[in-house]
Amino acid sequence: MENVVYEKKDLYYPVMSDILSVETLTAMEKRFQIAMPENQPLNHKPGQFVEVSLFGFGEAPISICSSPTRSPNFELTVRATGRLTDKMHMLEAGSRLGIRGPFGHGFDVDVFKGKDVLFVAGGIGLAPLKSLIDYTLDKREDFNKVKIIYGTKNPAEILFPKAIEEWRQKDDVEFDMTVDRADKSWKGNVGVITTIIPPLQLDVENTVVAVCGPPVMYRFVLMALKAKRIPDDNIYISLERRMKCGVGKCGHCQINDVYVCQDGPVFHYPHVKSLEEAI
Amino acid sequence: MNQKLNNINEMKCQFLDENATYDFLKFLKGRSKVFAPHRKGEASYIYDEVSDVKDVVLQYPRTIQPLKKYFLPPRETLLSFNIDENNFTESEINVEPRIFFGIHAYEMEGVMRLDYTFEQGQPESNYLTRREQSTFIGISYEPDEYHFSKSLGIDIDSVDGFSLYFKKTDNGYYVYEIDAAGQQLMKEFGKGKRVDIPVTKEEPEFTNKIKYHYNRLPQIFEHVYDSKVWEEVAERCVGCGTCNLLCPTCYCFDVRDEVEINATEGKRERFWDGCMLNPFAEVAGNENFREKLSSRTRHRLYRKFKYITNKSGELHCVGCGRCSKYCPADISITKIINNLIDDYADRQQKQVI
Repeated sequence: MENVVYEKKDLYYPVMSDILSVETLTAMEKRFQIAMPENQPLNHKPGQFVEVSLFGFGEAPISICSSPTRSPNFELTVRATGRLTDKMHMLEAGSRLGIRGPFGHGFDVDVFKGKDVLFVAGGIGLAPLKSLIDYTLDKREDFNKVKIIYGTKNPAEILFPKAIEEWRQKDDVEFDMTVDRADKSWKGNVGVITTIIPPLQLDVENTVVAVCGPPVMYRFVLMALKAKRIPDDNIYISLERRMKCGVGKCGHCQINDVYVCQDGPVFHYPHVKSLEEAI
Repeated sequence: MNQKLNNINEMKCQFLDENATYDFLKFLKGRSKVFAPHRKGEASYIYDEVSDVKDVVLQYPRTIQPLKKYFLPPRETLLSFNIDENNFTESEINVEPRIFFGIHAYEMEGVMRLDYTFEQGQPESNYLTRREQSTFIGISYEPDEYHFSKSLGIDIDSVDGFSLYFKKTDNGYYVYEIDAAGQQLMKEFGKGKRVDIPVTKEEPEFTNKIKYHYNRLPQIFEHVYDSKVWEEVAERCVGCGTCNLLCPTCYCFDVRDEVEINATEGKRERFWDGCMLNPFAEVAGNENFREKLSSRTRHRLYRKFKYITNKSGELHCVGCGRCSKYCPADISITKIINNLIDDYADRQQKQVI
């Protein structure tokens, strides 16, 4: 250990950051706009995540839901589902929280450039995908057709109604969505997300797909995409694990021999196929 | 990369009888803190700081805990925080020179595997700072029915990582000077009797063995992912995680905030965790990606023989035998590996027919 060739890093200290605004999206989800000290940009890639730190409550990995094209501030969409996220929902604009990151391997945007892009989002999976959707829309000329499909349990859980309305209005975006269970007001599709995949008109060889949703969704979406003859090579998926440290040490997010916090959360589907524990 | 004693031509050697060995310990203690094996209860041993050299045990099969506790403490403060002020203070890691005496070869290899883990990727200052200023002095041992390090390429006399190596002989120890620091220590101690490097006797036999050469194991592990052996082990495993905690190369951890009774101050602490424990691979919403004991056992073994090995080239089991000796369900890691080898060989046979 005498020949020190590495630079030792303090990996576990958060950067205290300001919450600029909090927006209630649904009964379960809120969106937080966050500024790093002195409005430093986070310098993230679409698909990456941060560790949110609240003293007394610990840390939790949260996907960044805004595009780096809209920096310096960034956004997190958080579902209240545990001690830390419940506490986070009680915070208001002006509060501070700790941020570590960005971590992980995001979407490689160069792969998507010049191609038709299809986004497949299930439930809260729309939040991580939104970082890439917004990136795509902000640099619209770099991409060919853009299609977004989104499935949610019921109309009350629709995450970004304003953004969705904008996507519907745009001539250069195709948007479709479905709910598992309708209520009286709902006039759209009813059924799981795989039911709106067959009608898609796709130039399959030239379409790159980004998928994110709950664990149960992947197998069925991937089957439906296969039935559309989309090559596996054109599919990228974002996986959820409990990334505790974010720096490839703690072991919690390991899928076979990969650490999701290092090699993911965004994976090329052919790689995921070789990982037995992935989906 | 095992340096073996009989490969080293330029190494110097001195003889210390048992009394002189304890004198040497006193000499070490005069220089810095010394940690060495001590007796714990009737038949167990632990590493502990030396206060009276007479308590140091020179010949022992293995300690309960590996050395990792000194570099990756079971519980460690990452930062201290104040909830009211919503800020934190960094935790200081102060390390003084430490000498670890009476270390077996497999244990030293275990420390070097941990070094790899904390150096690669994002080098972690917590571990690496604690690891600085450490001197290791090795000692030979008689393998018992649990040791199998020889099957993993680690001989009793593998001296990588040591500054000095004490090899037991009839009425004392041959002390080999492995590096400059070791040489300096012996020079300052000055009571050794210079001897010619003795012809090394045959090493004692290891009764516990793996059937195949260790270089074949990563290949075997490519073929046994779906082996019936995992279910067979899971039938007996109770999922207590003892094997994780006692493993010299296991390093997974959990991080928790501990708040004082005043509900204002607290510490962010990391604790050893284990992939054999049920909640280890849980995510929000209680989805568990390794719910079954069979998949957790498999994950543990793959981490030792395949996953990290793919990247580092080295096996991350060192054959200390702790997981087998202390398993409450009497599960033997060598039996698991040998059963996997049999299963693999059986299936190869069937393919031929």
